[in-house]
Formats: sequence, structure tokens, C-alpha cells
Amino acid sequence: MSNTLRPYLNAVRATLTAALTLENFSSQVVERHNKPEVEAKTTPEVLLNPLIVSRNESERVLIEPSINSIRISISIKQADEIEKILCHKFTRFMMMRAEGFVILRRTPLPGYDISFLITNFHSETMLKHKLVDFIIQFMEDVDKEISEMKLSLNARARIVAESYLATFT
Amino acid sequence: MILLESHNVIISDVLSDRFQKASRADIQFVDFDSVRFHISTPESKTVVVLSMSIQCWPDLLKYGARQHLEQQYAGYILPEASTEFEYNVSLAIDLERLPATEEERAELVSHLSLLKRNALAAPFLGAFEEQKQLQANYKDAAGAQQMDLQPTESKGELKVINYRDGEAIFVRASHDRVTVIFSTEFKDETDRIYGRVFLQEFVDARKLQSLQSAPQVTYSNREPPLEIRQIPGLKRSEDVGYVTFILSPRHFANPTQALQTISRIQLFRDYLHYHIKCSKAYMHSRMRFRVAEFLKVLNRAKPENAAPAERKTISGRTFRSR
Repeated sequence: MSNTLRPYLNAVRATLTAALTLENFSSQVVERHNKPEVEAKTTPEVLLNPLIVSRNESERVLIEPSINSIRISISIKQADEIEKILCHKFTRFMMMRAEGFVILRRTPLPGYDISFLITNFHSETMLKHKLVDFIIQFMEDVDKEISEMKLSLNARARIVAESYLATFT
Repeated sequence: MILLESHNVIISDVLSDRFQKASRADIQFVDFDSVRFHISTPESKTVVVLSMSIQCWPDLLKYGARQHLEQQYAGYILPEASTEFEYNVSLAIDLERLPATEEERAELVSHLSLLKRNALAAPFLGAFEEQKQLQANYKDAAGAQQMDLQPTESKGELKVINYRDGEAIFVRASHDRVTVIFSTEFKDETDRIYGRVFLQEFVDARKLQSLQSAPQVTYSNREPPLEIRQIPGLKRSEDVGYVTFILSPRHFANPTQALQTISRIQLFRDYLHYHIKCSKAYMHSRMRFRVAEFLKVLNRAKPENAAPAERKTISGRTFRSR
């Protein structure tokens, strides 16, 4: 692992662990409503300061905490056109399966590639440190996966081209 | 299967079956580039009619495809007047007058299954002929040592085969080479990007030592190459790619080699798109696997003992929380 990735992930891990202190909070505006405040934004006093952890201009994580929910948006590295399309395909593929991933948001925040929304109900039913582990592992693996997919595309293209041209004698 | 075959499997299967035992047939099927085939027995069980419809038939007619097919399938091809309705060319095979030996029959089947290849081969063969003539003339001019009259580069007729909607093959002979240009359209954004990766590899692969004998490949997207720039109605958008193959006389030195080259070059577009689709399918299966892995990691966050074991009192009653 490169030397900038480790501190970046550590910073995200520490921030997430600190931010995941969620409690049940019913809406103060509408009776019998219980909404993630970071999404509803109806009560300004329960929203905490959003925070961006950034590795470079393309890779960054936005963490928006509130009293009963936390929203994590990740921007994935996209060096060229191929990585861009692969990343788009991959995140789209995941977000279409958002029911399976209970904490995944169906659309990312503008400017980011993928967003997660953890509410107090999630943190009550699931282990907090494992949730953090999941986010960190996702960030690690998604980069690896995209670069592997790109390599395999190039390797395939090369084999295809060579075997076609080799038939001409 | 990396390379595509230039013959049609259905034709060869059906015909070799019918050659064993005559029976009724009415089969319609398709091949690459919206080519349609129809195998039928309209009059009697023993006469099989094989018809083909090909989109670029008007173009092919101009370049002598009919004559070429008549020469290739002499004795089988039906005259133009009795060609099946909605099809461009029909062949009739009388099962009672087949060649005697097994080998000859197999030969005939494989020859018939190359019908599409042979139809499309006419313009290429024409261009190869033209190249030979141009080469001969060019040598004469150079041999005469006409210092004041530089031999201008002579070029053959530009042959255009519109084999699909919006996509065409351009063939032009000149004195030392035959240039084949494909225009291909990528309907999808992903296809376009994948296509660019693939085409770049075609250009790069040529640099390998072992592939020096392969034709030279260049590609450009958006801008058509200089050879065909004067043609009106060419598309100049981001999703159009132009691939140029430069065939040197070595590639069509003898008839077998020429036919081999033609089979390969005709299938280039299908080959490219086939492999783009294959890569997409592979990426998809990969993503499926990776997402399943992520899901496993997330499920580890759920505590396992969600439902505690049922507890009973000493008298056998159960607790229930309400």
C-alpha cells in the first residue's frame, strides 16, 4: 500500500468512529415523524459540521454527521476515460442493489461517486466498528477493482489484436 | 473462441443433414451485418433452395458480385428472374444429382456455407486485380525513364460497400497496395471507450516483431482518413471510428492467400464488436462477484445471535416478551 493511502484511510476511520455516535431523535417539526436529520435538514441545531478528508483533488470523503444519522460520500479516483466509465458502471451496479446494502444511498451526492447513509437504527442493529470496517474496506477495494478491470481490458484488447493480426501471413 | 468463422454454421449443418436424407425444410436465419438466409424446399423434398438477402447488394452488383457468384456456384445458382422474392440471390441444390464421393460432398457443403463471404469477396478481388494492373503500368512508366514526366500516383476506383446502416467499407487499389477503410459506429458510450482501447491495441500490436507481416493498421475517430475525405455524407461525430488496413501485394499473392485475407478483413467489424461485448460481459460478472464480496463484509457487521435461545421455567412454561 502506498504511503499516502494508509494515513488517508486512518483519518477516515478515526473520523467515522468519532462521528458514529447516533441516538434516536424524533422530528421536532412534524409529529410522529422520525427522519434522518442529515437528509431532512428541518432542524438546523441538530446538524453537525460537515468534514472533508481529502487525499488529493480527485479522492476525497465528505462526512456529514447529525444527531440521528451520518452521511458519507466518497469520490473515487478516475485518472482517464476508461476509469471514469468503469467507476460509473461499478457504482451504478452497486446502487441498483441498495436494498441488500442497507446503508447504501440510492443516488450519490452531486460531485461524489457513491454515498452511504447510516441512521441510528442501523448503528443499533449492527456493530459500529464493523460498519466502519466495511466503509474502509470498500474504499480500499474499489480502487483495486477498477485498476484490475482496466488492466484486464487492456490485456484482452492486446490478445484480440494480436490473434487477429497473426492470421495474416 | 477468439476468432470468428467466416462460414455459416447453420447452412453447413442443415445441408450436410439434408445430403444424408432428404426432408422438408423451411428455415430462416441470419448472419452478421443483417444478412438473411432462407433454406426451403418449395417444390419437392429433393430440391433445396438456399436464398440470401444482403443489405449492400446494390453496391455489390456494381462490383460484379453476381458474375463472381455465377462463376463460383455454376450449376447451382438460379437466374435472376427466378430468385426468391425478397432475397437477392438463390441457389438450388438437387439432392438427386449430388457429387458421388463423401469428400466432394463435404467440399460442396463448405463451399455453399461460404456464400456470404463469396458475395462480399467480389469488390476485394476486383481491387486486387486492379492493383496488379496499376503495378504493371507503374513499372512501365518508371522503366521508360521519363524524367520530365514524373509518374503520378495512379489510383483505382474507390469502391464503397454500405454493409450496414451508417457503416461502410471503402476499398481502393493503388500501384503498391490496397487500402481498406472501415467506418464503424459505436452506439453506446461504453462501447466507444472500449472500442478506442481495442483499436489502439491493433495499432500497437503491429509494432511487435512477430507481426511485421500483418497489414498496417491505423485508426482515427471523428475525422475520416484523407483517402475518403472527399466523399459526401460522411459522419463526423465522436461515436464514429475509421480503421484503415493497408494490404500489401504479399497479402494477396496467390488465390488462397487472397481469399484468406478477404475472409479475415470482412469480419473485422464483427470481430471488434464481438470482443467489445465480451469484455462488457466479463466486467459485469466481475462486478457481480465483487458486490457479493462487499455484501459479505457488510453482513459481518450484523450480530449473529439475533434470536436468543428459547428459555423455559422448571415447570415447562416459556417466557415471552411483549
